[in-house]
Amino acid sequence: MGKDIFEVGINLAKVAVIFLMMIQAVPLLVWLERRGSAFIQNRLGPNRVGPLGLLQLLADAVKFIFKEQFIPGNAAKFLFLAAPVVALIPAALAFTAIPLSIPIQVEAFEMLGKSWGPYTFQFQGVKMDSGIIYILAVSSLGAYGLLLAGWASANKYSLMGALRASAQMISYELGLGLSIVGILMIYGTFDLNAMIDMQKGPLQFSFLGSEYVIPFLPNWGIFYQPLGALLFFICNFAESNRLPFDLPESEGELVAGFHTEYGGFKMLMFFMGEYGHMMVGAGLVTTFYLGGYLIPGLTEDTVRTLIATEVGAGTVANLLTALVFHVSFIVKLALLLWIFIWVRWTLPRFRYDTLMNLGWKTLLPWTLANAAITAIVLYFARGI
Amino acid sequence: MDIYPIVFHFFAALVTISALGVVLMPSPIYSALCLALTMLFLSGLFFILDAQFLAAVQLMVYAGAVVVLFVMVLMLFDLRNENQPFSGNWRVNLSKLGVIALGFILIALPCTYLMKASNSEWLQSRGLETKKLAELLFSKHIFAFEVVGALLTVVLIGAIALAKAKGGTHARTE
Amino acid sequence: MLELSNITLGHFILLSCVLFTIGMVGVLVRRNVIVILMSIELMLNAVNLAFVAFSRHHNLADGQVIVFFVMAIAAAEAAIGLAIAISVFRKFNGVEIRLFENLKG
Repeated sequence: MGKDIFEVGINLAKVAVIFLMMIQAVPLLVWLERRGSAFIQNRLGPNRVGPLGLLQLLADAVKFIFKEQFIPGNAAKFLFLAAPVVALIPAALAFTAIPLSIPIQVEAFEMLGKSWGPYTFQFQGVKMDSGIIYILAVSSLGAYGLLLAGWASANKYSLMGALRASAQMISYELGLGLSIVGILMIYGTFDLNAMIDMQKGPLQFSFLGSEYVIPFLPNWGIFYQPLGALLFFICNFAESNRLPFDLPESEGELVAGFHTEYGGFKMLMFFMGEYGHMMVGAGLVTTFYLGGYLIPGLTEDTVRTLIATEVGAGTVANLLTALVFHVSFIVKLALLLWIFIWVRWTLPRFRYDTLMNLGWKTLLPWTLANAAITAIVLYFARGI
Repeated sequence: MDIYPIVFHFFAALVTISALGVVLMPSPIYSALCLALTMLFLSGLFFILDAQFLAAVQLMVYAGAVVVLFVMVLMLFDLRNENQPFSGNWRVNLSKLGVIALGFILIALPCTYLMKASNSEWLQSRGLETKKLAELLFSKHIFAFEVVGALLTVVLIGAIALAKAKGGTHARTE
Repeated sequence: MLELSNITLGHFILLSCVLFTIGMVGVLVRRNVIVILMSIELMLNAVNLAFVAFSRHHNLADGQVIVFFVMAIAAAEAAIGLAIAISVFRKFNGVEIRLFENLKG
């Protein structure tokens, strides 16, 4: 965690801040969804509360907090209250391991009469060496929130919704894990920071002994694995229970699926978990296929010298450089989240058997084919 | 202040308590949830033994799939209250527990000797990388790997054949 | 008797023994067949812990490879056990271990 109290303190504060960042992005995403869906459906969304309707979620949050907290009579009380928290934890844990920007180097400085040495702070919650495997493992715990919610509600229809939801989730976890085998073969590491480092510079690869460089395209993963990117993106829709894989919470069919008996703040926590999964999925697609926080055409040193001519080299320049790259990451993340929202209001919902057929009979063979073709091409390209 | 013993004892205590929860809880659903917690804390123990890939695979396979399967089957059975969770006849139970306690003491005594006779230098070196695991898996144990693959295919077909109801899910076999 | 500040191999093996014992008690004392299957999973996990501890002690990766195989086989066995339990549940509407004793025909 750190050598002295300053570093340990900053690292702990960083974990809390990143978690809060994920939670605070949820009102913005809900606003984007409501205005965006209204735009797609040719109507106006909420536009009265605050400028452009931005404070609508604040009003909604106040309403949720003041609602009556009810628990159904036959419910298993502890599990009923624990289920929303269990739904939120995997998304939060997974988001801490995604690198959000370049590491910040802090120079040595004087404070309180003692000199604190030079530090390097990673711009992510926790730096994991086994990055993607840890994220996959923690995401697979997301099925428990659904099951606990459905079981503890003492409601037959919630139970059916929970069973269908967890069956969907564990079926698409297979596709999720297998679709990134191609990109793992290309990069040869689990570490997300190392993967982003390998995506620097223009598109260059060696094929059958000769080097090819395409200068106007960045070295991003999507040019190496277009099919894998598409399959991974589709499986992320299923993991976060978003339309078209919306069966667990299909409004209008199962009332509200596994969270029928939840109201008020507890339901808000389920939504935070769902949007958290969306953000983790979008963050992973950005890291693997869109170059993470890198900006095509600009390297870290160029930005740093550019900023250093304004504010002078040192800690502040490093901080501002990290912020520039962070903004780049957020732009890519926002683009992918908009695609999530766009698809939700465009495509109809899958039926349960068509959903299972898609997961097992279509996505699984395609991901295996992707892995096999990548392996064959790598064998000939690298001559391993 | 060395943090490793604190982390180890924390995880070890939690694993033991959850394992006791699996065996002693009367309702089977709570038992299954305690099993999920046990897998979670065991994954933490693998993590501090520097087996990161196995820790993540433990979470993915056991806590994320096997125990979810147990919980789903229990929810389908809808067994809320067990009329008799533990088998009766306390004399037989006591004799079983006595034999098991004897076996446990026989195996645990050398462990206590090991605990006093060695030190924690074995943890100072760097752990094994995942690459080593992969190299061994595909060179020395390749035959076992392929056989396990065939076994999993057979188990897949067998489980579907056993659990499938003739004539759909609402048919009754007379 | 218990050394608290130096974590040796003996600590991990003792923990593995304790978990194995708890699992075995579960198999012998409980009546619900699903809980018996869960106790078997607990025993297999105790063995996994022992393998990983030994692998770290001798710095050989073979222990971890064996754990890999044990995990795959345990998952397969849990699936088959649950499939059998579902078949028995369909017939007898209960999953006590007494119902599995009458294997006729």
